[in-house]
Amino acid sequence: MAGISPNGAPKLSVRAVEKTFVNRQGVVSALGPLDFEIREGEFVCVVGPSGCGKTTLLNIVAGLEAPDVGDVIFDGKPVLGPGPDRIVLFQDLGLFPWMTVRRNIEFGLRLAGLGRVERRKRAAHYLRMVHLAGFHTSYIHELSGGMKQRVALARALAMDPVMLLMDEPFAALDAQTRDMLHAELQEIWSGTGKTILFVTHNVREAACLADRVVTMTRRPGRIKREFVVDIPRPRQIEDRDVGGLAARLREDLREEIEAVLLEERRRAKER
Amino acid sequence: MPRSVNRGLFYLAALAAWQALHLWGPWPSFLVPGPVQVAEALIAGFADGTFLIGIAVTMRRLLLGYALSLVLGTVLGLLIGRVRWMDDTIGSLLLGLQTLPSICWLPLAIIWFGLNERAIQFVVVMGAVLAIAIHTSDGVKNIPPIYVRAGRNLGARGPRLLTGIILPAALPAVLTGAKLGWSFAWRSLMAAELLFVSLGLGQLLMVGRELNDIAQVIAVMVVIIALGLLVDNLVFGRIERRMRRVWGLGAALPGRARGRRAA
Ligand SMILES: Nc1ncnc2c1ncn2[C@@H]1O[C@H](COP(=O)(O)OP(=O)(O)O)[C@@H](O)[C@H]1O
Ligand SMILES: [Mg+2]
Repeated sequence: MAGISPNGAPKLSVRAVEKTFVNRQGVVSALGPLDFEIREGEFVCVVGPSGCGKTTLLNIVAGLEAPDVGDVIFDGKPVLGPGPDRIVLFQDLGLFPWMTVRRNIEFGLRLAGLGRVERRKRAAHYLRMVHLAGFHTSYIHELSGGMKQRVALARALAMDPVMLLMDEPFAALDAQTRDMLHAELQEIWSGTGKTILFVTHNVREAACLADRVVTMTRRPGRIKREFVVDIPRPRQIEDRDVGGLAARLREDLREEIEAVLLEERRRAKER
Repeated sequence: MPRSVNRGLFYLAALAAWQALHLWGPWPSFLVPGPVQVAEALIAGFADGTFLIGIAVTMRRLLLGYALSLVLGTVLGLLIGRVRWMDDTIGSLLLGLQTLPSICWLPLAIIWFGLNERAIQFVVVMGAVLAIAIHTSDGVKNIPPIYVRAGRNLGARGPRLLTGIILPAALPAVLTGAKLGWSFAWRSLMAAELLFVSLGLGQLLMVGRELNDIAQVIAVMVVIIALGLLVDNLVFGRIERRMRRVWGLGAALPGRARGRRAA
């Protein structure tokens, strides 16, 4: 699956990207310098301690934020803004509470110029794919957490993006729902061949899903190490090999997480 | 006791007390007409068409002025909420102007437009547009940024982002502003009609005063209250209930206290 695109060029390259924010505490260096590449059809997981800049990285790749330094090349062209070829599944979903499930899914399709009939067809297709057929007229607040997650996934998939950017999409779910969505996501991925950049702080999840796992340092986040995953699919979260890789990932991240904890403790004392 | 029974008993008692005051109060009974005389005045007013004409004239003014205020106020509110320099300039100006009771615009309006409909419309718009613009801009500023990010991610830009995401995301606040704007428009219009005679319900009040027909004055007041309740329940109540159902909001809207500023 992890194919090389025809000309061998990476689908996405992130080059020397850096980002700083200014907030009340002053200037926060959030990210980088950071370099990495993703090939077409590859499923890459990024793991790192919380606050290391994972969400910032996704926003930059999505074109929702501009890097201060460096550039992002997608399909050979620099990323200058958001585009329907790179769709984000946000950590807090961003479903629109004033729209029904169907209108949420159709929102981007309408902007893309799809006619009514085609929109309906696609919405129905992807709702079926995430096992929510029959919920098209529900409003968002009427759904459970797992169902919302799946609506957001359907909305992202319906845009038929080249690349899917997923920001800890399953972090807030109970273990059972998460396992089910892991299975669904792997199925969808192997059926559609999309390129996926998946951010998480859950090492087991990363080991279960990815072709390649990239670990990040604490803030400002840089690439720490890469792990190629050749465990055969389909995988389950409790597989021995998945557990083994997860242990190695955890070991790799240990000093980063400990440093973050130390820092937090120090700051708490100062206060 | 069920609420409706409670309420019904209260109003019956109030009517009885009113009648008692009319009959046995320490003042001449023509100064405090009883419920029966007021009901008669109501029937007479509707029968000879004067109340209907008054309602029609007043509602026409109100609806025209309010519709204009809604459009202007929403557009202004969106701009102030989204564009930083508009907030720093026009936004602060509106906040300042809002402290002025809108009837204070009447002298200026009469100088500018003369003693005519345009002057009244102007006062109505000044009453409503500020509240609508200020609430809309507050709502727009407080939209969770995730909606805008998600909208942009799905391809919304420029005007589509404004109408498709920002305005509906701010709807609870926009609706609060619209309700407040309506009550300000209503108050401003009544004040203007009282001061400056030209048909309408306000003039009927003044006619009643000049004729010393106190029953008519109270009857017109009853009509004004009834109209206000009707619009609150049928229009705003309905929109608000629908919005709460769609969004899954249990509690009432913020900012329900209204009319801090009498017009
Ligand atoms: N809009 C912003 N303004 C100020 N600081 C921000 C902003 N967004 C993120 N940050 C800071 O940048 C760092 C990285 O944030 P984020 O990318 O959300 O981390 P992660 O997703 O890995 O938890 C954090 O320290 C966060 O506080
Ligand atoms: Mg994050």
